[in-house]
Amino acid sequence: MTDIAQGSPEIVTEQPAKFAMGKSMKRKEDPRFLQGKGNYIDDINLKGQLYMALVHSPYPHANIRGIDSSEAMKIPGAVAVVTSKELNAYNVGWLPTFHGLDKQMVLADGKVLYQYQEVAAVYAETREAAYDMIELVEVDYEPLEVVNNPFKAMKDDVLLRPDREAKTNHIYNWNVGDQGATDAALATSDHVVKQHVVFPRVHAAPLEPCGCIAEFDVMGRLQFYVTSQAPHVYRTALFLVLGIPEDKIRVISPDLGGGFGNKVPVYPGYVCAIAGALVLQRPVKWIETRTENLTSSFARDYHMDIEIGATKEGKLTALKVNTVADHGAFDAAADPSKYPAGMFGIVSGSYDFPVAYANLDAYFTNKQPGGVAYRCSFRVTEASYLIERAMDIVADELKMDPTELRRKNFIQKEQFPYKSPLNFTYDSGDYEHTMDVALEKIGYKQLLEEQAEKRARGELMGIGISTFTEVTGAGPSKHFDILGIKMFDGAEIRIHPSGSGIIRTGTKSQGQGHETTWAQIVAEELGLDPQNFLVEEGDTDTAPYGLGTYASRSTPVAGGALALAARKIREKARKIAAHVLEVSEHDLEWKDYAFHVMGAPGKTITMKEVAFAAYTNPGDNEPGLEATLYYDPPNMVFPHGTYVAVVDVDRDTGETKVRRFLAVDDAGTIINPMIVEGQIHGGLTEGFAIAFMQEIAYDEAGNNLATNFTDYLIPTSLESPHWETAATCTPSPHHPIGAKSVGESPNVGSPAAFVNAVIDALSPLGVRHIDMPLTREKVWAAIRTAENAVAAD
Amino acid sequence: MKLEYNGSEQVPLSKPAVWEFINDPQKVASCLPDVQQVTVHDPKNFDALVSIGLGPVRGKFKFKITLEPQEGGNRMNVRISGGGFGSVVDLLAGADLKDNGDNTTTLDWSGAATMRGPIATVGGRVLDSQAQKLIAGTFANVKTRMAGQ
Repeated sequence: MTDIAQGSPEIVTEQPAKFAMGKSMKRKEDPRFLQGKGNYIDDINLKGQLYMALVHSPYPHANIRGIDSSEAMKIPGAVAVVTSKELNAYNVGWLPTFHGLDKQMVLADGKVLYQYQEVAAVYAETREAAYDMIELVEVDYEPLEVVNNPFKAMKDDVLLRPDREAKTNHIYNWNVGDQGATDAALATSDHVVKQHVVFPRVHAAPLEPCGCIAEFDVMGRLQFYVTSQAPHVYRTALFLVLGIPEDKIRVISPDLGGGFGNKVPVYPGYVCAIAGALVLQRPVKWIETRTENLTSSFARDYHMDIEIGATKEGKLTALKVNTVADHGAFDAAADPSKYPAGMFGIVSGSYDFPVAYANLDAYFTNKQPGGVAYRCSFRVTEASYLIERAMDIVADELKMDPTELRRKNFIQKEQFPYKSPLNFTYDSGDYEHTMDVALEKIGYKQLLEEQAEKRARGELMGIGISTFTEVTGAGPSKHFDILGIKMFDGAEIRIHPSGSGIIRTGTKSQGQGHETTWAQIVAEELGLDPQNFLVEEGDTDTAPYGLGTYASRSTPVAGGALALAARKIREKARKIAAHVLEVSEHDLEWKDYAFHVMGAPGKTITMKEVAFAAYTNPGDNEPGLEATLYYDPPNMVFPHGTYVAVVDVDRDTGETKVRRFLAVDDAGTIINPMIVEGQIHGGLTEGFAIAFMQEIAYDEAGNNLATNFTDYLIPTSLESPHWETAATCTPSPHHPIGAKSVGESPNVGSPAAFVNAVIDALSPLGVRHIDMPLTREKVWAAIRTAENAVAAD
Repeated sequence: MKLEYNGSEQVPLSKPAVWEFINDPQKVASCLPDVQQVTVHDPKNFDALVSIGLGPVRGKFKFKITLEPQEGGNRMNVRISGGGFGSVVDLLAGADLKDNGDNTTTLDWSGAATMRGPIATVGGRVLDSQAQKLIAGTFANVKTRMAGQ
């Protein structure tokens, strides 16, 4: 057996050694990326292409009295200007949102509802001419009163969406759990802890913004190159919006420079590019600017009130959460139809609450639309942050160590499958073990001693714990769909005569390393060399149907499809092996990555040999060796982890230094430890940014104050702490290879660890909570306020 | 982003002379700092093209200006709206005229501006002082021009 491991596994896993899986194989896609030879959307240029640019509204709320494009059309190279009037004439002025609960304007139709909303599209021979044109499109606005938060919106004094049947800014109510039992349990609890917690509006900010090129070829077929995390969903959505039959649409998603959820929605720019290409009969290219990227969608923006009941001994009795969600101008969250608030029900976390109730109301405001899932399975980050933050507040109130409160209330490993009071069935987990590994590795006892000494000297040192549980892998078709399409995934494997092969899936890597991990899964199942598999994704002409890559669903869904498709191949191979070895297939045993004739040692055949026979000597069997399989997972998967942050806060300046950060993840079976570690590093860096520096804030006039990277900060390696990682392994009992997911865990689990650490540092001063981002100004102000309060006493 | 300004100028001219000056669009427009071009539509409405430099935001802003003289000749309101490169400014300014009785006039002025778009964010750090300079400069110019008459 050749050892195919090439990298050095940093993560020491608990899982048994395998042939191709669990090894830190170097990424097969990296040679092109490391040489700067990736093929991104802006690298693609079609003959005769036009460039499109968009005119954006400076007003957050205004009627449009008129649009005059005559001056813009005088720019040399100007070709056309399109407004909602032209789009409406083709009946494409509005788009349905993915969950079907709302629709959104492609270009402002009569009024604008948020600053930077798309008002007109211009088309020109060059990119420069297009940008000159947008300066000269004259839009006559009549400013209207601005609703810049959901609490103002709920008064309904200013109706933002008169186009909707319900004349209110309230979009929907969603609730889950037992309200009566929860209220009763809270009323009789020894302690009830209440806290208002805000998860601010943030943005995924992939380094490559969105973009597309649309072309109607000589046969009238749409060739649509686009930055999409879900190419097949786009194809079907384009059929639904434009009425073009799906066979006349090819969606190609090239290499993507990050996505994190930002590349799931269908944006107005895409529709305008396609409309332009259709009418002008020329390819049209549109590449988003950074400001357009930051202002077109968002994540989070939840205002949450939590109540937790507990006994004197620290046993949790009830959980109640009430949330006000700010959805902006359109309810364009890409959530599954039946889950308008996504998977927010995971808010009961890793804890065995006897009863719980969660209620959520969503409102329109004059802000960018969306509520897309930013590196989480639809609202899991908000939920995990809330419960993990609240657990620390409960511990503080009960004067318990936060790890002891958690230990006392963890769902025990023998309780799985565990039915949560908010309607999820957790598949597996061992929370206490993972926490113990983390506490041991970080040296928790020593840190507590050090902290006690420092506190005696007046120094502010904090230790923050987060023992989160995620719900990922949407999802089982009985619960999950987008635009009515069930959230299964397809996989296709073809084995060539030489034992190499091609793998195709309906997912789309944005940096996750599918070209490597998919090959490792198939190689593991078939005993073939993962280096010899080509992995293709992103072209709807060749890939089997799939719902794409987001919500940590690729390995839970497509990964399962791949393993099962490989097993289907193995079953066919068994017949051919039996023919070649001249035995009955029932006499064959698949062991140590080859077929063995039972009771006849040495009489074996490898998959590579079977592959050759499939094309040269298949006997009475159907020739060839390939399989396509669609996998509908029976349940979601529930990865978990324990994160520990250690911080020092400068009492004079409010500056926080993250001295150590340890992430112990339990993602079930790990396919490639090196890739997992990379994903954790990336997600922790994003979580660090959310906790300390990022917010899309709006001023009273409705101005978006975070429209570029001077205002919306992205940490570099200079700001980012050193990350320590480790893994425990509780395989998913229902997943074909026992895998869960990990891509989103660090973004979901880390913000609470950071904030808990800072609040722990400030707790001797009596500080109980500060909303993110914990900028030095906010921390400094909290320290001063606390000190002044002490001085006043 | 909403900004408010106010100030006071002593003008060495009689109140009727000041009133006449500030009712003349051509004369008022010429007091805007860095004005490039003025197009007068009628005695109360004119357009002005002004060079603006706010941090990284630089270019020409086109303003529509409306003079709203109040009954009695004691107060002039001015509405300015316009912008450029995706930004807009809506400014409502007003000046009260007070006859000092010694052939000089006091001009008490105030203004409130709402900024939207990149100037409010990118230029935000320098906007306040720049806008102050622009508005104060305008009224200082009014004083200088009138004094020179």
